Amino acid sequence: MKQNSGPDRLAIGLFLAPALILFMALVLTPIALAAYTSLYKWNGFGLPTEFIGLDNFERLLGDETFIGDLGRGGLLILLSLVLQLPMSLGLALLLNQRLRGRAFYRLLFFAPYVLSEVTTGVLFTMVFSPSRGLFTDVLWLADPDTVLYSLFLVISWKYFGLHMILYLAGRQSIPKELHEAAETDGAGTWETFRHVTLPLLGPTIRITIFLSVIGAIQLFDMVWVLTGGGPVHASEVMAVTMFQYGFRRFEVGYASAISIAIFLISLVFALMYQRYVLKRDLEGAVTSR
Amino acid sequence: MTVLNRRSLLSLAGASAASMLLPGCSGGGNSGSGTQTVNWWHISNQDPMLTVWASLAKEYESTHLGVKINITPLENEAFKAKLTTVTQAGNPPDIFHSWGGGVLKQQKDAGLVKDITSDTSSWIGTLLPASVGPYQVDGKQYGLPFDLGLVGFWYNKDLFTKAGIAAPPSTWDDFLNAVGRLKASGVAPLALAGADKWPGHYYWAYLAMRVAGLDGLKQAAIDKSFDKPEFVQAGRLLKELVGLQPFQKGFLGVKYDTPDGQAATVGNGTAAMELMGQWAPSVQKSSSNSKTGLGDKLGFFTFPSVKDGKGKATDAFGGGNGFAIGRNAPPAAIDFVKFLLSVENQQKAAVTDSIVPITKGAETALQDPNLKAVSKALGAATGYQLYLDQAYPPAVGQQVNDSVAELIAGKASPEQVTSAITKVAKSQ
Amino acid sequence: MSVMKKLVLHAISIVVGAIIVVPILYGVFAGFKDNGQLSTNPLGLPSPWVFDNYADILSSPIFWQQLFNSTVIAFVTTLIVVILSAMAAYIFARFAFRGREVLFTLFTLGLMFPFAVAILPLFILLRSLGLLDSPFGVILPQAAFGLPVTIVILRSFFRTIPAEIEESAIIDGCTRFGFFWRILLPMARPALATVAVLAIVASWNNFFLPLVVFNNADLWTLPVGVQQFKGQYSEDTARILAYVTLSMVPALAFYAIAERQLIGGLATGTIKG
Repeated sequence: MKQNSGPDRLAIGLFLAPALILFMALVLTPIALAAYTSLYKWNGFGLPTEFIGLDNFERLLGDETFIGDLGRGGLLILLSLVLQLPMSLGLALLLNQRLRGRAFYRLLFFAPYVLSEVTTGVLFTMVFSPSRGLFTDVLWLADPDTVLYSLFLVISWKYFGLHMILYLAGRQSIPKELHEAAETDGAGTWETFRHVTLPLLGPTIRITIFLSVIGAIQLFDMVWVLTGGGPVHASEVMAVTMFQYGFRRFEVGYASAISIAIFLISLVFALMYQRYVLKRDLEGAVTSR
Repeated sequence: MTVLNRRSLLSLAGASAASMLLPGCSGGGNSGSGTQTVNWWHISNQDPMLTVWASLAKEYESTHLGVKINITPLENEAFKAKLTTVTQAGNPPDIFHSWGGGVLKQQKDAGLVKDITSDTSSWIGTLLPASVGPYQVDGKQYGLPFDLGLVGFWYNKDLFTKAGIAAPPSTWDDFLNAVGRLKASGVAPLALAGADKWPGHYYWAYLAMRVAGLDGLKQAAIDKSFDKPEFVQAGRLLKELVGLQPFQKGFLGVKYDTPDGQAATVGNGTAAMELMGQWAPSVQKSSSNSKTGLGDKLGFFTFPSVKDGKGKATDAFGGGNGFAIGRNAPPAAIDFVKFLLSVENQQKAAVTDSIVPITKGAETALQDPNLKAVSKALGAATGYQLYLDQAYPPAVGQQVNDSVAELIAGKASPEQVTSAITKVAKSQ
Repeated sequence: MSVMKKLVLHAISIVVGAIIVVPILYGVFAGFKDNGQLSTNPLGLPSPWVFDNYADILSSPIFWQQLFNSTVIAFVTTLIVVILSAMAAYIFARFAFRGREVLFTLFTLGLMFPFAVAILPLFILLRSLGLLDSPFGVILPQAAFGLPVTIVILRSFFRTIPAEIEESAIIDGCTRFGFFWRILLPMARPALATVAVLAIVASWNNFFLPLVVFNNADLWTLPVGVQQFKGQYSEDTARILAYVTLSMVPALAFYAIAERQLIGGLATGTIKG
């Protein structure tokens, strides 16, 4: 690549600086602080004084609840990728059609995403109530064996709107002419989808997978409000465990270690994903001067 | 802030932002010219206590010119979250809600609360002795109570009669018997909020007290070892109860105070009993369908005794509510609390049946016969144990809750419960 | 489109719509019931219709104050995050320089970090910066944490705009900034609308940050206000549901408006060849 010229360098600096400064001050600093405190045994009061090195991480590896969290998180990711994303894509394409009431449907389908976690939690606590909810024969949230799936249902309900509008925006960036050309060439709906829409939606799909996995790894609000991780850890995820240790048990050093673990897991995934999957999106459409 | 941010602010927010930039107020202390500001955080964010506290504060302000009391009422969970961050940042309010015990000790160790032993020595004798204990650390006073109660069984008299139970059980065996009869009569014997965990630990705590004796329990906390046969036995007794499947359907997923929760289940007559603290009648009332709860069909009996147990049937378990005094609190803060704890003012609170007062002589204002019963039982108590999830350091308390919840859900054995608690206790 | 196809599409839309709407309607109707009715008749229409819950809330100045706070904070947060992210994403998408990927990955690091844990160090930081009890104590961290997602999404969209357009603009004498402001941004309207909506929603529903930053109740936002209804030992669920229903209306309204941008942005299909 050619060297950037002077004015270019200035532009780069000026454009990047504000975001970079804000980010470093209010995001990176807390992360660094958390990394620091994860090496201590600390109850959060005063300053950390009891340095224990990597003991917190060692403890983590043997922590039954945490190991269970990894398994549960993995299951949620799998369910999201296999069920939630395709459904969102389907619905986005559906809403892209010329259908009567389309605008209304679009508004409606996004509504759950707009609700706060507290709202959703309250709503579904009643919907899933063992005595006065829907289908009370099913112990939605009360049975340790089914609670995770109930949780997945609520998560899908709430967040599919996000993926849907991303797919919609992506779909609308595909110029009409391409679809018209395909139609003229005699392609059917499925073929058009497979050979025109899907590939061009590629970057968007890859982004939604990325956001979906990262979101599943860091899931907190929804679980906390709906089940608190219960009953008996059956719906617990890493971030909930971290919150319990940090804000309830006042074992802030250990909680920091959990957060660093979440961070590292996400980081490894992100780096590998960028390297192997997103690499294709890095080529092309980039100006170099 | 960068130039760009300021520009966008001016172009958008303008006056509205300016109106929002109210001067912040964190921490109390004297603020110039002899005015004292007292910042008070409490959790009675609903009536009647919300109004009672507010009017008492106003009354105090009117007779003590130069003192300003800023009240921040918060919901329970929100309070815990906020308090955690301000205390960990070293900036506690002047007066804040406290349940005493291990959490207060942690706060004291971090230097966040004020030693008020000498400030209160002249009048602390007007309060019930059992009530001030939880707010002491190493013999010194760091807070004061305003209410104290105890945990016991609240039961539906009609359902008991229907099941053929003549009188409330006084031994554990009688209790299991009663549970069996209630189940046979078609009603859920016990209501439990499995999702909240803390109501469940009451069973284990009482059984531990009955089997090991109050001294045994206190000693275990000091030794940080619960691996003794008595505690395992307590777990076994609880397991026996759980084996009878006495709880309402879907109990693992409900909370305590929601319209379909533990209190409502009793208040609506769907379950016959709950093991709960002194606020039980009022929560049953407010969360029930009829809004009236069980009325005079509600009765109270203390936790039964266990055969061959070292504990006495009159040992009490429970807790109360109180005020902790923040380290920066001005003298007016302590004086204000003294004002709140005067007999007349405690009576003003007691008459609403929201608290069981702790100032001697104030209990006459109680209206509710059930609360009178609680007050009476307290008076007769031979010993007192604060809720375990408050008395112990937070990590240990949480472990007690978690382990007992696992036992109740059938996922942990009595031995696992004691060893898990011991493990966490030793790590503190 | 064939009649059959239309029918099927309609059917699917209705079914999905129903699944989505039932819990929401439940909440809306629950606001018209009292707690007792909620237990005896949770899923049906209210009978009788209790207007007190909604009326009390709508006439309460506290509700409107919180609504105002939530709005201002959401707006300013979104403005900051979208502008800063667009600028950064522009650089990441269209310039090549050493360390670009490293810097980009640095931003994506922010995605890996659960907000709940940042609360404590963030709180101490805000305190030392004097930002407690200031709306910026919430706005700035929200904007900062919103940067990663916004930059990732915007970069992806900016890439799809071909180099030729930029080159011809430069040849025509446009500056980098001019291209950015007058050509790129308008073309990226669907993406901008998308990230703006996401930022507003995130800010609107944020609970923990305003809770710990604002001591002064006058600054509380709606989610914090909802908690105000939950008492120490009891919950007035019907009232809470009325409150949350009302608090969701502005966010939905904004989405309805922004949504038109999403459709409008379609028209600028400029790619030739």
